[in-house]
Amino acid sequence: MPSLRHPFDNQRLVGTLFLAPALLYIVLIVGFPFLLAIAFGFSDVTVGNTELNFVGLRNFEAVWDNAIFRQVFETTIRFTLISQVFILLFANILAIIFTQDFTGKWFARFIFILPWATPVSLAMIGWLWMLDTKYSPIDYLLLQTGFLGRGGILSDDRNLFWLASPDLAQISVIFVQVWRMTPLATVILMAGLSSIPTDILDQAEVDGSRFMRTLLLIKLPLILPIMVIALLFSMITMFGDMTVVYVLTRGGPVDYTRVLGLYSFQVGIEGGNLAQGAAISLFAFPLLLAMAIFMLRTASRAEVR
Amino acid sequence: MKLAIRLLIVLSIFAALGVGVNAQGDYAEGTEISLLQWSHFVPRYDEWFDAYAAEWGEANGVGVTVDHVNFTELFSTLAAEIDAGDGHTIVEVLFSPASFIDGLHDLRDINEAAAEAHGERTATCHAASYLPINDAYYAYTHGYVPDPGDYDIALWTDAGYPDGPKTYDDLLEGGRAIYEATGIPVGIGMSPELDSRMANRAAIWSFGGSIQDENENVVLNSEETIAAVKYLAQLQNEAMTDEVFGWTAASNNQALIAGEVSYILNSNSAYRSLQKIDEAAAANIGFTPALAGPAGAYASSHVWQIYVIPKYVEGDELAAAKQFILDHTENYSDVTYYSELYNFPCYPTTVPELDGWLEADPWGSEPPNKFEVLKTVNDWSVHLGFPGVTNPAVSQVFAESIIPNMVAQVALGEQTAEDAVAAAHERIEEIFADWRARGMVGGM
Repeated sequence: MPSLRHPFDNQRLVGTLFLAPALLYIVLIVGFPFLLAIAFGFSDVTVGNTELNFVGLRNFEAVWDNAIFRQVFETTIRFTLISQVFILLFANILAIIFTQDFTGKWFARFIFILPWATPVSLAMIGWLWMLDTKYSPIDYLLLQTGFLGRGGILSDDRNLFWLASPDLAQISVIFVQVWRMTPLATVILMAGLSSIPTDILDQAEVDGSRFMRTLLLIKLPLILPIMVIALLFSMITMFGDMTVVYVLTRGGPVDYTRVLGLYSFQVGIEGGNLAQGAAISLFAFPLLLAMAIFMLRTASRAEVR
Repeated sequence: MKLAIRLLIVLSIFAALGVGVNAQGDYAEGTEISLLQWSHFVPRYDEWFDAYAAEWGEANGVGVTVDHVNFTELFSTLAAEIDAGDGHTIVEVLFSPASFIDGLHDLRDINEAAAEAHGERTATCHAASYLPINDAYYAYTHGYVPDPGDYDIALWTDAGYPDGPKTYDDLLEGGRAIYEATGIPVGIGMSPELDSRMANRAAIWSFGGSIQDENENVVLNSEETIAAVKYLAQLQNEAMTDEVFGWTAASNNQALIAGEVSYILNSNSAYRSLQKIDEAAAANIGFTPALAGPAGAYASSHVWQIYVIPKYVEGDELAAAKQFILDHTENYSDVTYYSELYNFPCYPTTVPELDGWLEADPWGSEPPNKFEVLKTVNDWSVHLGFPGVTNPAVSQVFAESIIPNMVAQVALGEQTAEDAVAAAHERIEEIFADWRARGMVGGM
């Protein structure tokens, strides 16, 4: 007598069912707006008229001819790359520290994750105050310690003008992005470090491998695929972000901190030119896609080795 | 009695025009309207408005709800609601919503009715709600906010200007003298934000330059604009700090309240804030009209109060919305009063008390005639598209902060005025061409 199999014994079916909510989420929350942005980019929609009249590549040509856009595109890439260097560096250091045993480790981990857990707009309002052009507490401390003010080491002014000086505004935005993104990368790397089989580390210790040797020749190569994933998450999040600069600088001074997300919003929503706003945001897509493919392949190769 | 007569006139005009606005209370059972507007700078105004709206609803048999949001959210909310085809009945925005025109009802009927009832509307209001190329009233502008200069009386008196600066030359000479003597700078923003966008335009207009001409052709790249940009760069280098490159909408208020600025361009908001904190310090603040340059004295209105009705609004809801807007204008004395003279009327006849209030501020200024300079506001307060209209291209130029960025680049010494103006002109030409292709900008 043939046995009756329960439908849930079918692994393909169960796998599909488990994946379905995630796929639905991706299609509705990511896929649909993305397709809509493509449709907008090839049309002449405005904020007042979302009727899709096909205009071919007109918007993309216009955007590429726009010198401000090219500057913004370059700024976005530069900010993202510089931030990633610091995020990776700090995340590796912190992941190693947080995987060691020490008193107060859980509290330290809790405090450290806060920048990531805090709503970004709220956190940015805090930074807006910290970096205020006139009333920055950082400036106050520097003033009290003689670094600012008449005869000060840093400046004769009472303020450094964190968000008004072209150099300091760029440094401030990159610093805040690093502050915001490092916890996520750290948590991912901690997961990677925790997954290294202890017998490998024990063997290395027995063989007399010291800390740096173990780190550079065993731990880092083993967590490389996870490191690449952390980097990918961080880069994609930062590349599309507009909240940090929207709150802190609105892209200024001049265009020094204007990034793609912000410019797309300014042109598309505030300026009413929805089609060009969509085209601006879509310029990031091929770059991010190529980056994702490259990094995932790198991660895959490292995993195979 | 006067109010009743005015109401009668308005209703008669509507009856004659046949615009479909129902008489008071003549709406289907269950008719509701909803309004979306900013959280007014003056909380007292919102209290008055919410109570007024509720009373109007009761009197007219219409359910009225009012939602207040931060002004930065108005355009994005309006865009979302038009796209969704559902949302608020009336949305009040603070800058011309010309780019939304396809999603908005033409409000010619109530614009004409109000003009019939109250006489000519101020030019700054007309230009912020009418698009000539389409011959369409895409909005109804009921009020605007003057943007005079605020100066520190003691500092400017010491510098030899007891009545404050009257010209851009005065501002440079006096502002520089004050900065050198006290370290207190002038505060004219040069950053990508609202106040800077308007302050920089004011100088360009007063020097004879402009973004577009009367016929919506781009004319930014001119000797006059270059002279204005050179002037602003010199002013920054000699009388201001680098703070102006990071200027925000709150900077005027912060600086004036802290006593760390000798002159700003602002609505009365910075002054009113100071008045509530320190009356003596507020008494030391004087106002100037737009500063005169080689070509005249112009300043942009600070913001406009502009009602729009999206096309998804129909039937009795639409009729009630139009009636609400007209009745609101009827009560503009209250609007101006409860906004602490922040809102000025687009139809001056609706606030006959205004001159008296400017001579004796009902909100306790010292001296009482502090705002008297605003009697001439309609001679110098213009709109963003001056001397043309505020079309969608002008709005996009405004949103992209092209003008303050152009000025800041020169002030920072990164570009010559000639190169910066030429580059800005090129970008503005691109924007105008794009909107012109959509049939929403004239010229050429």
